[in-house]
Amino acid sequence: MTRVGYLRTFFVELSLLAVLLLVPFFIVAPYILHVFIMLFYVAMLAVAWNILGGLTGQFSLGHAAFMAMGAYASTLLLIKFNVTPWIGMIAGGILAGVTAAIIFYPCFVLRGPYFALATIAFAETFRNLFTNWEMVGKAQGILLPMVDRSWYNFHFSGKLPYYYIGLGMLLVIYGSFAILERSRLGYGFKCVREDEDTSNAIGINVVKYKLLATFLSAAFTAVAGAYYAQYVRYIEPDLMLGGYSIEIVLPAIIGGIGTVGGPLLGAFLLMPISEYLRVMLGNVIPGGHLIAYAVILIVIIRVKPLGLVDWLNGLKWYRQLSGAKLGVAEAVKK
Amino acid sequence: MSGVVVQVVINGILVGGFYALMGMGLNVIFGVMKIVNFCQGELLMVGMYLTYLFTSTLGLDPYLSLPLVAIIMMCLGAVIQHGLITPLLGAANDSNLIFMTVGLMMLMQNLALVLFKSDYRTVQTGYSLKNIHLLGQVVSLPKLISFGVLIFVTFLLYAFLMKSETGKRIRATSQNPIGARLVGININRMYILSYAIGAALAGIAGTLLLPFYYVFPMVGATFTLRAFVVVVLGGLGSIKGAFVGGIVLGLLETMGAFVVGPQFKDSVVFLTFLAILILRQHLVSRAR
Repeated sequence: MTRVGYLRTFFVELSLLAVLLLVPFFIVAPYILHVFIMLFYVAMLAVAWNILGGLTGQFSLGHAAFMAMGAYASTLLLIKFNVTPWIGMIAGGILAGVTAAIIFYPCFVLRGPYFALATIAFAETFRNLFTNWEMVGKAQGILLPMVDRSWYNFHFSGKLPYYYIGLGMLLVIYGSFAILERSRLGYGFKCVREDEDTSNAIGINVVKYKLLATFLSAAFTAVAGAYYAQYVRYIEPDLMLGGYSIEIVLPAIIGGIGTVGGPLLGAFLLMPISEYLRVMLGNVIPGGHLIAYAVILIVIIRVKPLGLVDWLNGLKWYRQLSGAKLGVAEAVKK
Repeated sequence: MSGVVVQVVINGILVGGFYALMGMGLNVIFGVMKIVNFCQGELLMVGMYLTYLFTSTLGLDPYLSLPLVAIIMMCLGAVIQHGLITPLLGAANDSNLIFMTVGLMMLMQNLALVLFKSDYRTVQTGYSLKNIHLLGQVVSLPKLISFGVLIFVTFLLYAFLMKSETGKRIRATSQNPIGARLVGININRMYILSYAIGAALAGIAGTLLLPFYYVFPMVGATFTLRAFVVVVLGGLGSIKGAFVGGIVLGLLETMGAFVVGPQFKDSVVFLTFLAILILRQHLVSRAR
């Protein structure tokens, strides 16, 4: 993309941010704010997953374990040692990042579906251990105690503070990804994704890059998990279930894997649909929103295998607005 | 003490038979198309619900519904393969294949949740609670019948793949799709057939499981992972290996539960799986 192209994309991003900043001034219904908060949370997870899965090409289907690790770390630090979740969040991020790097290190020899399988097995092992671990509340999980509502405790009345904190955190994670994507490090990640042997040959230390990607991805995932724990105020080992790992991946796949805007776009599409269906059908059809997810996923893979971003870039007005280029496949067709 | 060990071993072998059947289904699909089918356990779940429906509405004995379930599952498998998976084969990145089967997994799980709610269901037959004595131990009759049928199905599959004309075509396709096409084999038809066989094997496992196990929408998840463990233990693409792998996994699980306590048996299974998966890959890359 040219420099002008980047500026235009930046302009689109800024306008979106402005709209999101203004939303609470016009919509005060707590439920709508809740939908936005969950949207920010899901988008954070999807962007974080995209560092390892999209940029580096290592499909992890066990990220829910790192999310839960962040949630548990920040919560336990608050309950046992009265450490503010702001520090707990960072501690949880580092803990999950380091753990992920250690356990994924031996798995880097595995490629494609085998790596995905190994990550599922790790997540299930963690779930099994947490379910039987006295200190973390076993299968019942932990209900966060009613502490004073303050910044120190990350506990507020009303949804507005959570809204802006979530938006701010998403901004940081998204911004980091956007900078990473066009940095030297990011090009290294992409190089590893495209061809490991060639990367090796041109002097990229493949294992080092995979470790870095794993650390960053798991750390951001855990930070998002800590935010979730402080907002929902209840955590349980079942947060590590394979289904949640898949829900982390879905927005990235549907939006456009490996792209900057894809996971965000995917989250903006999926979350409102899911919340709407949960409200409309929740009592009648409990799994309704997941059926919708599955159908959207299958249709996208069949019709637009590169995701919604690819579709968006195919639209003329969007290209003129954002300066994006046609996808390679589309360009060849024309 | 030794009585307990014998009991553990018998249970391990009986459970292992199911893992073997699941692993073989997965293996046929992987061996021919090199795709990893994440919805294998959900196919088993569909098989279980079909059996449940036949038994509860038509009053059919679960074992008699076996051929019906197998045929329905073959059709379902053929439709999935032809409509959704074949079009993705040969694309540059295989990630979409993974997520297609993941999508199918979500779809089947949640459709089952909508249709049957999350209740645990099982079928009661006259012999459900009967036990017989074997090697001085008490073994439940339906488990033993199922194991017998399962061995029979394994032999049928093996004979089909090794001796029949169609079986040879399937094996040829799995060894070299381009070469198979050159000698006049319709490889798309072989793809459909192998997915249908894989789905039927999962359905048969479901039918055989129902007389002494319960069915609920999420039942597949445990079996999918264990089917993968079997395949990794026994070697990809090998039927004999899958059978041995299944029995070994069953033994590992019951022994592990006996040694470290039943609540940690999942950890034992998955950590062993990871160790084998990683070690094998290291050995393969060293050999190269």
